[in-house]
Amino acid sequence: MTEQPSGEEREIKVLGGAAIDGAPLAYVVVLAAVVAGLAFIPLSAVIGSGKSFPMSQAIFPLIGWILGPVAGASANAIGALIGVLVAPHTTTVPAATILGAFMGGFGAGAMAGGGSRRRWWLVVGVVGLLAYAAYAGRAVLQNGVGVVAVILGSFIDWSALLLYLLPTRKMAARWIGGQDLGKLTAGLFLGTWMVAGLTHLVSSTIVYYVLNWPAPVWAAMAPVAPIEHAVRCVVGTVIGAGVIAGLRAIGLVKAKFAAY
Amino acid sequence: MSKLGLQSVGRQSLFTRLDFRSKLVMVAVISILAFVWESPIAGTALALSVITACLLAGVKWSYLKWVIQLTMPFFILLILTHGFWNTTQVKLLTSREVLRPLFTVPRNWWLIGGASMSVEGVLYAINVISKMLTLVLVVPLAVFTTDLNNMIVAMVRARLPYKLVFIFSSTLRFFPLLFEEVQSIVEAQRLRGLAVEKMGPLQRVRVYARVAVPLILGAMARSQQLEVVLQSRAFTGSPDRTYLHQSTLQSVDYAVMALSAILLVLAAALYVGWGVGKFSWLL
Amino acid sequence: MDPILVLDKVSYQYPRSPQLVLRDISLQVGRGEFLGLIGPTGAGKSTLCLALNGIVPQFYGGRFFGRVAVAGLDSLEHPVSEMARHVGSVFQDPETQLISTSVENEIAFALENLCVPSEEIKARIPRVLAAVRLEGMERKHPHELSGGQKQRLAIAAALAMQPDLLVLDEPTSQLDPLGAQEVFAVVHELNRELGMTIVMASHAAEEMAEHADRVALLSAGRLVRIGTPAEVYGHPELLEERTLRPPQVARTFYLMQQRGVLVRDIPVRLRPALDALDTLSRDCRIDPPTTQQPPTQSGGALLSIRNLEYVYPDGTEALRDVSLDVGRGEYVLIVGQNGAGKTTLVKHFLGLLQPTSGTVAVGGTDVRQLSVSELARSIGYVAQNPNDQIFNSTVGDEVAFALRNLRCPLNEVEERTLAGLQAMGLVEQRHQHPLSLPQGDRTRIVIAAILAMRPEVLILDEPTTGQDFQGARFILDISRRLHQTGKTILVITHHLYLMPDYAGRVIVMGKGTILLDAPIRTAYHQVDLLRSTFLDPPQAVLLARHLSERVGQDIPLLTPREVADCVVCDSPEVQAP
Repeated sequence: MTEQPSGEEREIKVLGGAAIDGAPLAYVVVLAAVVAGLAFIPLSAVIGSGKSFPMSQAIFPLIGWILGPVAGASANAIGALIGVLVAPHTTTVPAATILGAFMGGFGAGAMAGGGSRRRWWLVVGVVGLLAYAAYAGRAVLQNGVGVVAVILGSFIDWSALLLYLLPTRKMAARWIGGQDLGKLTAGLFLGTWMVAGLTHLVSSTIVYYVLNWPAPVWAAMAPVAPIEHAVRCVVGTVIGAGVIAGLRAIGLVKAKFAAY
Repeated sequence: MSKLGLQSVGRQSLFTRLDFRSKLVMVAVISILAFVWESPIAGTALALSVITACLLAGVKWSYLKWVIQLTMPFFILLILTHGFWNTTQVKLLTSREVLRPLFTVPRNWWLIGGASMSVEGVLYAINVISKMLTLVLVVPLAVFTTDLNNMIVAMVRARLPYKLVFIFSSTLRFFPLLFEEVQSIVEAQRLRGLAVEKMGPLQRVRVYARVAVPLILGAMARSQQLEVVLQSRAFTGSPDRTYLHQSTLQSVDYAVMALSAILLVLAAALYVGWGVGKFSWLL
Repeated sequence: MDPILVLDKVSYQYPRSPQLVLRDISLQVGRGEFLGLIGPTGAGKSTLCLALNGIVPQFYGGRFFGRVAVAGLDSLEHPVSEMARHVGSVFQDPETQLISTSVENEIAFALENLCVPSEEIKARIPRVLAAVRLEGMERKHPHELSGGQKQRLAIAAALAMQPDLLVLDEPTSQLDPLGAQEVFAVVHELNRELGMTIVMASHAAEEMAEHADRVALLSAGRLVRIGTPAEVYGHPELLEERTLRPPQVARTFYLMQQRGVLVRDIPVRLRPALDALDTLSRDCRIDPPTTQQPPTQSGGALLSIRNLEYVYPDGTEALRDVSLDVGRGEYVLIVGQNGAGKTTLVKHFLGLLQPTSGTVAVGGTDVRQLSVSELARSIGYVAQNPNDQIFNSTVGDEVAFALRNLRCPLNEVEERTLAGLQAMGLVEQRHQHPLSLPQGDRTRIVIAAILAMRPEVLILDEPTTGQDFQGARFILDISRRLHQTGKTILVITHHLYLMPDYAGRVIVMGKGTILLDAPIRTAYHQVDLLRSTFLDPPQAVLLARHLSERVGQDIPLLTPREVADCVVCDSPEVQAP
């Protein structure tokens, strides 16, 4: 400061605004609105699959990295809930969509947790393992689908879970938090693969309990699902890289448990 | 209201009079039943009841028809896959060694020649379809018949944290704005020479993805103003506040909740004791 | 005078900022007073508004000096939520400040936070809605309201807390002229009839002069001058030094004064100015210059519309029976209220909308035969919000974005990008992130990115919204330079007073049709027609009309300078009142 003001300097009590787990409530609101808005933008996946998934699926992890686990999960789940309430027909099983979104935010936010949160990822991992056991177990034991078909058909789910349980989780988190652009991109791709994979795992488990698709569907999923997931990851990476660069440029105050 | 808000039925009925909390209990019970029951008969009955209830509550037939039409290709896919290939599971569920064939594709057909569609498989598909219909249509039944104000206050009364309820209501306010913004961003991209129609799939995906970048950054920048607005409206996030609208449980609400609970207990007893609702029930 | 607001040597510095944004500001506002706050962008007006209810510094932190008191309450000794009860705030963006899903909930929100019982809330809602003329709208969704209605709702929400002071920070800058008029009318009524104390920051000089009791001029965080509108706006040199714009009547009479006409008190409001003109026209000679219409274009029609009708998918008829030719090298201004069909019209040139019936041709080719990206090469469109038009992480990439999409050779991309950056003075920022630059610079980035495609036509849609006078002039000066190089320019704006130096032709739209299509000198003087669609002609035009009536001759002047120049007083003794 170059000049001295004539008024007396006052002591300031900074109260700040309302927050959820260290993330300003206003951030949570606008990002939940983004999730809800993008739930209406279909991303037609690559040739062949013919299925489309909403763009919101690709940003679930990013929301977790921006807001931290609790606020990220809240924003995702509420955004997804609103998508379901406004347009119920866009989902197969509403609860699966919402829980998957929740898992995405929490899983992403828990990746880099330190201090008292350094074991939070374990909760995500255990839930993931249980979900996978229920998913694959039901297929193999109850519905008589061949083990190989299940393993191939659920490649994105178990690979995501594995990458999340291994130190690759920490590595991705470190890359996302770092300044190196190349590593940031790689971290976003890897991180989205894990976290969006966990989202997929949780919602597929629930959906499978309803649909019980037979063996040939598992076989059909084997080549399609990874391509679709890769698309999701490319989208998540492109968005994540742009958004994180932008957030750093604006100099917006980070949420307390942000990972970028 | 427009498609970007919660739809609402134009008619008064039992459903519009009920408090959102009792409707939630009802939805929970119906969803559990749909989830657990594997009987095509019980499942279809449940789905038909939900559809009837929707119609009674004033959900437009055109809406229901549209939802069903939209999901029809998926239903056909379910019938085909379950009909042809769901054998192990239905054999297990019906404890039959051989399934009854509905028809068999002539042998000389390419690839699928000789495949046989089973009665049991198709019945299983019907069960799955009815589950889906129930789970999806129970949402409009509860939501389209509820005034948003009641929904929000009911959430607070149901002891949901106020901050979450606040996020819910303000997200409902803001997301149509973001949806509009997506349109103008897409336009702006096209005006900068992006010809999506001429692109390969991967490039197209990346282009689409880029739409979200200004959207999210714009939203985050806007959140700063929102923060200031909230402050100047004496908002602290504290649950200690009053509400303009009320949410009170009437005797009819208690009745609905009690009936739902009884239904659940009854269904559980019948399921465990007599196999009512299991796949093989009445088949 | 009983002061309701006291600022005593207030200085403030944001955290992580090297300098003070407010410097030693002392002022008092009396109960029932209307204080206007003026100053260029960055002068500290918004920060000052936020300091009145304690958001600065209680929310932002930083360093704070001196004292702010509202109704005797020190802004640092009471939490913002308590100060909010005494200071109602209204902000610039109509969308962000409405946070509820219905009108009544919006009003109730703050009261609920203050734990006001629901019966009391219910009693207050109709009262405040009546005060802002939104009776009967209780159940409407904010989406169903116009911009002006949204801002009035924000005022109602603030009023419901029964504050001692209402603070409005640029409440009309994003509204169309009708919305702005509505808001000014409501604020005026609140002040005059209910005795509400008002502090309002605004760039709308004419309205400020009309309504405010006193005006405070801020510059670089300092209070430079405070006084009646006449004491502040009556010194145009003081404002122009700080890139601010005085009301046109003040500037007109100031210019006369400069030319030696004796004007004792420079009028700042229209009525006194007209009276002063009467006196002058009695005592002086009115010598209107011979104005020339801009040459009619000879290049032939570049853009051509025949019997265009457009109906939105939801059934709203947005355009009907529109026919129009725009020649190569023209500079056309399109005006009208929101919803008049201006943007819908230009989107047809871009292929973003297809006519329901009728034809649209660009360079003789029906637009239906061209794709959006093909059209984008010849027609550049700068939309309203620059933030929606920025997709890249550096300024350079942003400018090159379109060129890469259009598959320009690499060396050409480089060359054209550099040219675009140079034209907009952005070369030094080329490696920065667009969002790290101020809003005004972002508009320039978008213009540079559009110009890199070398379009023949440039359409600017509301380029001046949210810009101060200097920012608006900067952008329009760019458009003039481009026009001089032979480009065809279309500008949509609500700010009529800005355009005489630029546009040659004016198209007035209303309710989906063209109400008037004429050279600017003719169009601006169709006062009744403009007013019928709630457009207010610039004050200089009204002065010229008044002169025309006095001398019985049509004087189609447009700017303060032109009007000032046509008053010729031979004897220096002659005095205006």
